[in-house]
Amino acid sequence: MSAATVGARPAGSRVLNRIVIYGLLLVFALVYLIPFFVMLVTSLKTMPEIQNGNMLALPKDPTIQPWIKAWGEACVGLTCEGIHGYFWNSIKMVVPAVAISTLLGALNGYVLTKWRFKGHKLVFGLMLFACFIPFQSVLLPMATVLGQFGQLGKVFTNAFGMNLGFGNSTVNLVFVHVVYGLGFTTLFFRNYYEAFPTELVKAAMVDGAGFFQIFRRVLLPNSLPIIVVTVIYQFTNIWNDFLFASSYAGSGDVMPMTVALNNVVNTSTGVVEYNVNMAAAMIAALPTLLVYILAGRYFVRGLMAGAVKG
Amino acid sequence: MAFLEIDRLVKRYGATDILKGISLSVEEGGFLVLVGPSGCGKSTLLSMIAGLDSISEGEVRIAGKRMNELHPSQRDIAMVFQSYALYPNMSVAENIAFGLEMRKVPKAERDKAVAEVAEILQMGHLLKRKPSQLSGGQRQRVAMGRALVRNPQVFLFDEPLSNLDAKLRVDMRTEIKRLHQRMKTTIVYVTHDQIEAMTLATQIAVLRDGVLQQFGTPAEVYNNPANVFVADFMGSPSMNLIPAAVRAENGKTVVALQREGEGDLVLDPGQAGEKLSAVLGKTVLFGIRPEAITDHDGADRNARTLVDAECQVEVVEPAGSDTFVVAHLGGKHVIARMRSDVPVRAGHRAPFTFNMDKAVFFDPQTEQRVA
Repeated sequence: MSAATVGARPAGSRVLNRIVIYGLLLVFALVYLIPFFVMLVTSLKTMPEIQNGNMLALPKDPTIQPWIKAWGEACVGLTCEGIHGYFWNSIKMVVPAVAISTLLGALNGYVLTKWRFKGHKLVFGLMLFACFIPFQSVLLPMATVLGQFGQLGKVFTNAFGMNLGFGNSTVNLVFVHVVYGLGFTTLFFRNYYEAFPTELVKAAMVDGAGFFQIFRRVLLPNSLPIIVVTVIYQFTNIWNDFLFASSYAGSGDVMPMTVALNNVVNTSTGVVEYNVNMAAAMIAALPTLLVYILAGRYFVRGLMAGAVKG
Repeated sequence: MAFLEIDRLVKRYGATDILKGISLSVEEGGFLVLVGPSGCGKSTLLSMIAGLDSISEGEVRIAGKRMNELHPSQRDIAMVFQSYALYPNMSVAENIAFGLEMRKVPKAERDKAVAEVAEILQMGHLLKRKPSQLSGGQRQRVAMGRALVRNPQVFLFDEPLSNLDAKLRVDMRTEIKRLHQRMKTTIVYVTHDQIEAMTLATQIAVLRDGVLQQFGTPAEVYNNPANVFVADFMGSPSMNLIPAAVRAENGKTVVALQREGEGDLVLDPGQAGEKLSAVLGKTVLFGIRPEAITDHDGADRNARTLVDAECQVEVVEPAGSDTFVVAHLGGKHVIARMRSDVPVRAGHRAPFTFNMDKAVFFDPQTEQRVA
């Protein structure tokens, strides 16, 4: 179709197009937002209001009591100390796991693009393979590996009086998430560094920078966009993980948030406190939301402008 | 012994030789330009001098010291890249100081060195800016500053002007030449632009397909090209290469150029005659630069052999300072460079003067120089 016929299109059909497009967008936005809306209003209502009222109605007398209860008093299994301890468990797991997997992914990407060796394609191919392994299939082998870690921890405890982190559930989860995150983080960074000007690395070599100096001073400071992408991706995945968490840290006070939330909701004693459950679920979802809002702002393009050419 | 020596250097990727045994040498303070069409191996050669590409065979020596196994940072060289390769996350000052910082030069000394270089390149006001805030010419300056500040034994330039617009390129060319005269540091410079090569070099190496075609001063390469490739590559407009028959006439060796619709144009080859007598009866390629074919009054008064001839003019191209006149000789378009006010007109006959002192002759098969 030529430009002339596009311009000659009747104005009426263009308006209709817009209505259809925005109408569809609105419908989908509602589909996604209504559950969130229900969660939010329910978490601000009292139990009698929930039992007698409409799910979609706004709270008559908004209260943050369910949030306070979820944070500090809700029962997870038999202990009724709220979810705050498990929230910190998750933080303690997710921060090191994201940091380590991102850093190692960046290092892998750097080596696979700027310090190529024979067989680099095979190595990268095998790392990519990690992205396609279903997590369920590694549960048992990984449990064996973690069991060995536990044994090692006991040996260390006998020898030095401390286990050096071996056998600790949080450390175990960090290890699992780093291992299974590496495939993705390597993929992200390799593709980003593939387009990174090699002349910059050469210039740094002539300038006398070593392997790690080039990585730290030249590559990393110019990788902000891909770091943000990787961090968002890894943080969301690891924070939301339930399978590994319930398999390797599924009980006691080492549970991460996701497992604890499941236990809060599944508690069989007394009435089901929907408002507390909703508040707990919201609290569990907050960090990923926050990371997206904060990091998303640094999702800037064009950081490489001015590196090469004019 | 020369300062920078490149000794039978070979670069091999698998079974393919990219460089096939290049030997060159430059005196200290010399300006060596590696020139050739793209893919001739000139940038690879520079990378090998820098240590960014490994050496398959042969040796690179700087000041008598073998460089082959040394890391780029240990060779005491500095390099200016085609893309400038400025670190985008650092300010201009940090970019310039980075090499010193890596060599653990104290901060105070670094600052002083940066200030000096900024003074030389007149970019003190740019020091705080990021590379993205600079124009192409300014980035070029920063890239040079980064090389200058280290005060190395050898500067390596990899097509540094190819990303600039035409006017800026001429300015920066002059600036590089001025810098070289001031610093007196040895420079190896890669370009595909033969004018850059002519204006900057003390020594030119012409490469083609990984083979050194000719190595000499700009004047040597320009006036005495070793083969047809060098003759054609250097100079703009390029040298006229006209098929000509070598004959004996009245006991003298002459060259005859075919003309359309009239008799051959017979030229006295001057000093070249003696050597040409060896290929009597054969065809040669007669090479003559446009500026050696002039109008009668524009000819070089000191030339020993000037030959006047009338030819049919095909095209007249006034270029301001000169007028290029195209004629048809030996089945080729032949360009003559005449004075701007010369009264020739297309489609008419005009007198041409050939300065046969400047004539060169090649074997049409081997393309090597005969005389």
